[in-house]
Amino acid sequence: MWNQFWWVIFPYLMLALFVSGHIYRYNTDQLGWTAKSSEFLEKNYLKWGSILFHVGVLLVFGGHVAGLLIPKTFTDSIGISEKIFHASAITTGGAAGVITLIGIVLLSLRRLTVKRVRLTSSFTDLIVAILLLLIIAMGVYNTLGFNLLAKSDFNYRETVAPWLRGLLVFAPDPSLMKTVPLFFRLHIILGFALFGLWPFTRLVHVWSVPIEYFKRSYIIYRSHRQISRHAPKGK
Amino acid sequence: MKKKLSPLGKKLRFFQPKETYSNDWSELSSQDREWEALYRRRWQHDKEVRTTHGVNCTGSCSWKVFVKNGIITWENQCTDYPATSPDMPDYEPRGCPRGASFSWYSYSPLRVKYPYIRGILLKLWREALNKTGDPVLAWKSIVEDPEKAKAYKSARGKGGLVRASWEEACTIIAAMMIYTIQTYGPDRLAGFTPIPAMSMVSYAGGSRFLSLIGAPMLSFYDWYADLPPASPQVWGDQTDVPESGDWYNAGYIIMWGSNVPLTRTPDAHFMTEVRYKGTKVVSVSPDYAESVRFADHWLAVNPGTDGALAQAMTHVILKEFYIENASDYFLDYAKKFTDLPYLLLLEKKDDTFVADRFLRASDLGMPLNKAEWKTVVLDQTTQQFVIPKGSIGHRWENEGTWNLKPEDEAGHAYQPTLSLLGVEDLVVSLDLPYFDDHQNSLIRRSVPVKQIEQQGKTLYVTTVYDVMLANYGINRGLPGDYPLDYQDLKPYTPGWQEQFTGIKGDLVIQIAREFAQNAVDTQGRSMIIMGAGINHWYNSDTTYRAILNLILLTGTQGVNGGGWAHYVGQEKVRPLEGWQTVAFARDWTLPPRFQNGTSYYYFATDQWRYEELPLQELTSATIKQPRYQHPADYNALAVRLGWLPCYPQFNRSSLQLADEAKDQGAVTNEEVLQYVVNELKSGKMEFAVEDPDNPVNYPRGLFVWRANLISSSGKGHDYFLKHFLGTSHGILGNDQQALKTEEVRWRDQAPEGKLDLLVDLEFRMSGTALYSDIVLPAATWYEKCDLSSTDMHPFVHPFNPAINPPWETKTDWDIFKGLAQRFSELAATYLPSSKKDIVASPLLHDSPDEIAQPFGKVRDWKKGEIEAIPGQTMPKFLIVERDYPQIYDKFISLGPLAEKNPLGAHGLSYSPQGMYEELKKINGTIQRDGVASGRPSLEFDRQTVETILALSSATNGTLALRAWQAEEAKTGLSLQDIVSDRAGERFNLASITAQPKEVISSPIFSGNTQGKRRYSPFTTNIERLVPFRTLTGRQHFYTDHEIMLEFGEGLPIFKPALPNLAFAAHEQAPDVSAKTLQLRYLTPHGKWNIHSMYGDSLIMQTLFRGGPTVWLNNEDADTIDVKDNDWIELYNRNGVVVARAVVSHRIPRGTTYMYHAQDKTLNTPGSPLSHERGGTHNSPTRIHLKPTHVIGGYAQFSYGFNYYGPTGNQRDLKVVIRKLEEVSWLED
Repeated sequence: MWNQFWWVIFPYLMLALFVSGHIYRYNTDQLGWTAKSSEFLEKNYLKWGSILFHVGVLLVFGGHVAGLLIPKTFTDSIGISEKIFHASAITTGGAAGVITLIGIVLLSLRRLTVKRVRLTSSFTDLIVAILLLLIIAMGVYNTLGFNLLAKSDFNYRETVAPWLRGLLVFAPDPSLMKTVPLFFRLHIILGFALFGLWPFTRLVHVWSVPIEYFKRSYIIYRSHRQISRHAPKGK
Repeated sequence: MKKKLSPLGKKLRFFQPKETYSNDWSELSSQDREWEALYRRRWQHDKEVRTTHGVNCTGSCSWKVFVKNGIITWENQCTDYPATSPDMPDYEPRGCPRGASFSWYSYSPLRVKYPYIRGILLKLWREALNKTGDPVLAWKSIVEDPEKAKAYKSARGKGGLVRASWEEACTIIAAMMIYTIQTYGPDRLAGFTPIPAMSMVSYAGGSRFLSLIGAPMLSFYDWYADLPPASPQVWGDQTDVPESGDWYNAGYIIMWGSNVPLTRTPDAHFMTEVRYKGTKVVSVSPDYAESVRFADHWLAVNPGTDGALAQAMTHVILKEFYIENASDYFLDYAKKFTDLPYLLLLEKKDDTFVADRFLRASDLGMPLNKAEWKTVVLDQTTQQFVIPKGSIGHRWENEGTWNLKPEDEAGHAYQPTLSLLGVEDLVVSLDLPYFDDHQNSLIRRSVPVKQIEQQGKTLYVTTVYDVMLANYGINRGLPGDYPLDYQDLKPYTPGWQEQFTGIKGDLVIQIAREFAQNAVDTQGRSMIIMGAGINHWYNSDTTYRAILNLILLTGTQGVNGGGWAHYVGQEKVRPLEGWQTVAFARDWTLPPRFQNGTSYYYFATDQWRYEELPLQELTSATIKQPRYQHPADYNALAVRLGWLPCYPQFNRSSLQLADEAKDQGAVTNEEVLQYVVNELKSGKMEFAVEDPDNPVNYPRGLFVWRANLISSSGKGHDYFLKHFLGTSHGILGNDQQALKTEEVRWRDQAPEGKLDLLVDLEFRMSGTALYSDIVLPAATWYEKCDLSSTDMHPFVHPFNPAINPPWETKTDWDIFKGLAQRFSELAATYLPSSKKDIVASPLLHDSPDEIAQPFGKVRDWKKGEIEAIPGQTMPKFLIVERDYPQIYDKFISLGPLAEKNPLGAHGLSYSPQGMYEELKKINGTIQRDGVASGRPSLEFDRQTVETILALSSATNGTLALRAWQAEEAKTGLSLQDIVSDRAGERFNLASITAQPKEVISSPIFSGNTQGKRRYSPFTTNIERLVPFRTLTGRQHFYTDHEIMLEFGEGLPIFKPALPNLAFAAHEQAPDVSAKTLQLRYLTPHGKWNIHSMYGDSLIMQTLFRGGPTVWLNNEDADTIDVKDNDWIELYNRNGVVVARAVVSHRIPRGTTYMYHAQDKTLNTPGSPLSHERGGTHNSPTRIHLKPTHVIGGYAQFSYGFNYYGPTGNQRDLKVVIRKLEEVSWLED
């Protein structure tokens, strides 16, 4: 019963909230769609914390894609042995995790201890900081601590990864999660909780990365008239 | 209608094909321009209202306030001032960042939204009212029970204000008033509100109510020490100054103790502009002030020594422009418009002489009307003594001879002799008083004199000019102690001044020469802008007179672009006659009680008990000893001789006196008044001032509105707290070994908590509100109708409500109207019948009273020196009928005297004929039984505005014409052409709301603005020969009242600052472990506030350090290990301040600045010394009452409300500073 809830119902609920929440927020809160910079209030912690966190979290995101979305059969088939994969995951993933962790620790400390930052923080700012801290701390523990110290024969690539891929193609198999250790489970559940909260927090700024600048023309005009649906392409 | 696309929908258009141009360098965005609407909406509004800020900055700037969805949003400067003239800059736009932030207050956390009463008092009140069921008995049961009274008084300033209803608040106040009137008389109540010009109707609301009741209004201009007593002394005028536009006409400007860009922000542009025109600007300032940056020269004078600088400049001008290379322009001006050619009597003292009083026609036995009041000159042509027209004797004989034509009474022309040298009978030696840091001494020089044999006595006379030259050490080959050259250290050379001022003698010579030479070249366009920096001192009047020497000797006064420009709290009520009719209820009763604020507070707060300096040390070496050693005794003398007012009045109720007289057999009013005189003469009755610590004489109730008395203008803050309010305080000195009084009764135990009820009308929780027993929520400047004017510009600006008063707030007018209503309701029960109120009134300036006491000699009836005659040797006594149940009816209607009595001011009066009937049509009439029935309505503030504008010559051309005609009759001159082209003009609320308009020239002010001229004071006097309102009718260098001579101030003189230290000799300074430093303590006006206004707003707080600060020099700071932003404690015998240090080299060594009016409501920690929250800027201050300011009954030395009277000066002080290692916020 709980298995069904945590590994089927809850993730879908959070993902649904994630998608519909973003649409709702974007349509109703254009002026609040922001990363809420607080650099004006404090610079030193932010300089280190923000850079470490953002660099780290991008690497960690890549690691999650590599580790979870690529099936073991694929890496096997191109000749990457489990041992090599595992070692590189621990070293690169661990390093990225540690960088991210240092970043989020600095940022959380800053948010809680620097008075003017604390006083200007909203409730969601605090929740996001705490959730990220917990999730990242557990992720680092799962990568380094558990793998190195626990000497367990647990392999997430045979449990968590197929479950997640199943979830993404709408064929979730909660039984795959039965043997997953506690900290992996908590990491995943909190992770999905964060997805659910995401649209209602400052994290929406992720979608405002101005990648369109790379291909945009230098001079932009805006028209008073409605843009026609089939504008001719001029040169 | 087409459905609007959602933001996401629009964003998804990103994927549509785009139009691109110019090889893809540009493209048409798929996004629309909807985002711009946000910024457009930000500046959209529903309405725009013209109003202004009723703040005491003298700015009077016209502003637009914008309202959106019923909410005040922001304000903007008006830019529609009419052009000045084609060759000069315009006034618009006016304003400053402080005013621009005002809308913050409307909805700020500081806003007072409901009536508040201190919880303890409210609880006592409700209990008492429940028990007695009678509001007056309830109040009596509280204030007459020492424990209960102490309980609520000692809680003042400590929070605990709770919300109450308007009804309950008004009932308590009315009950307090009735109890006080019944028990002590109406003169135990008082009202304090300053500067009517900043919002005339709001001022008038309270003053009208209190005047109807018989309660005194307290003056502010003298109390603030903004009044320059030199002005009435020299010109007989309160203060008259050029509008700022006239700076543009100057050729040379000295800014002396005035920080123009900071304190006259909206006007400062004229200073910049005139510099582009080539005018030279000099700044005299001890610190590197903002004004210094304007200047071509900076004279960094030691604080308090400006008089020495001016004396030396006078020396240079006299020597070079009167003797060595005499300027015809100067000599001509001096003869026509100053007292320099007038003859003085010399008094023989052993082998020498001292200067005495002016020679009068009566001394020469001339059989003239009012001969004792007619002064004399020597005709150069005939060598005869002549009596020029225009003296004060001519003024009050009303023969049309009061003018400055160079004629004697018979109409014969004469040429005044400036100096007797060459025509003298003999040369005699003259002793002149001299003051410096060491001791008061004499300088012996000599003057040429004429001898006159009169009734067997020999009179020795000389001219003021000859005495001037002797005083200033200008050597004309006469024997005596004269300096050899400019470097000589004898007074008053440039070399001499250097030891005091620290300014190089050569620079002083240069500036004096340039100033005078410019006046020669431009016929008087040299100007001195003077400010609070030199005006708030004990001896500021002599300093001012020394500086005015420069102005008068160079013929600059009464010339556009020249003269003095005193800008210190000097607002000008342009529509004066109408305003004072309404404000002091002159339409119903006369006279109002006017109390000079300084004396009131000096005694009420018991600051008089802490005097340390015997007056012996401050008086002239020409006399043996002063009349009294204690200033309070001079005040008591002044009261009984009719010089100064005194409310509370007698040690008996002024309402019960008539009944007592009747019991003693008096029938007629004359007999009643004779009874009063007899009671005083016999000593059975005393003036309240003679025993200020007797509970019978306490002030009982005080209304404060439009003011922050306790935290901003309450000099001697902690004396207010201890003695007046009876709450905890930070006084570190004591009164036990202080100087004792002779005439004022000394009681060993000083009272605490004299005042029964302090009522404050406020829109923000200021320091005064926090110390008040009842706080009534007032409307702001954006929520009412009112009027504002200033002398910085010639316009009258309206206030208009942008919104109705929000929450439970009301306009000041409505609040007092409501109080009047509740008071009248209760009075119908408690004070039903008409009462006779005996009003004692001092001898008034600009009335025949000012020729009551001849020759300026002190004759004390109490000592038997003269008969006690009301209105001559003692105050006038008048009987006023009070009908207390009618107060409300009278408040809301314009009374019959507005129709019957003439209008006027400054000794001029003219008929109001026709205006009363017209006002019935403009305002409508009161439809209600009783005395108000059918009279013009004053129920609402806008009706009061219309009434004021209709009844004033500056805003009603018909009246202006009548006023000039009255002036013609008085002077025998032809003057009405000045206003004939504007006689048809009328101002009303709608017209001044549509666009500002320059006021009409009126003879109640001294400047002529005919034909778009800029206003400059006394131009009418100089050009049209209207006399000055002085003894001689000319501008006075010399003042001859006995007390002026007692203090050595016959001529302008240098006197150093008072020698006060932080603690008096008999006091023990507190023992502190940190390093300490004693510094002079100055409180100049600040940059981020106007007094305490704006200073507590979030916007201003963010501009500078957010909380109280004290500035000191970096080297001084080093000696006590203070770094910038450290917390420091600053203290002396009067109180303690805790603030952060601002360490800066722009402050001179030896002096510390705490900028004015930093209220202790924000970021103020506790003091380890006082265990109280660390004080206001006034905690270390105490006022010093100067005896020369109490003089009255004598020509221009006669009392006028805010006109003459002791100033509440507070600069002559030192403080001790130490670093504070630990800061306690008193929060545990």
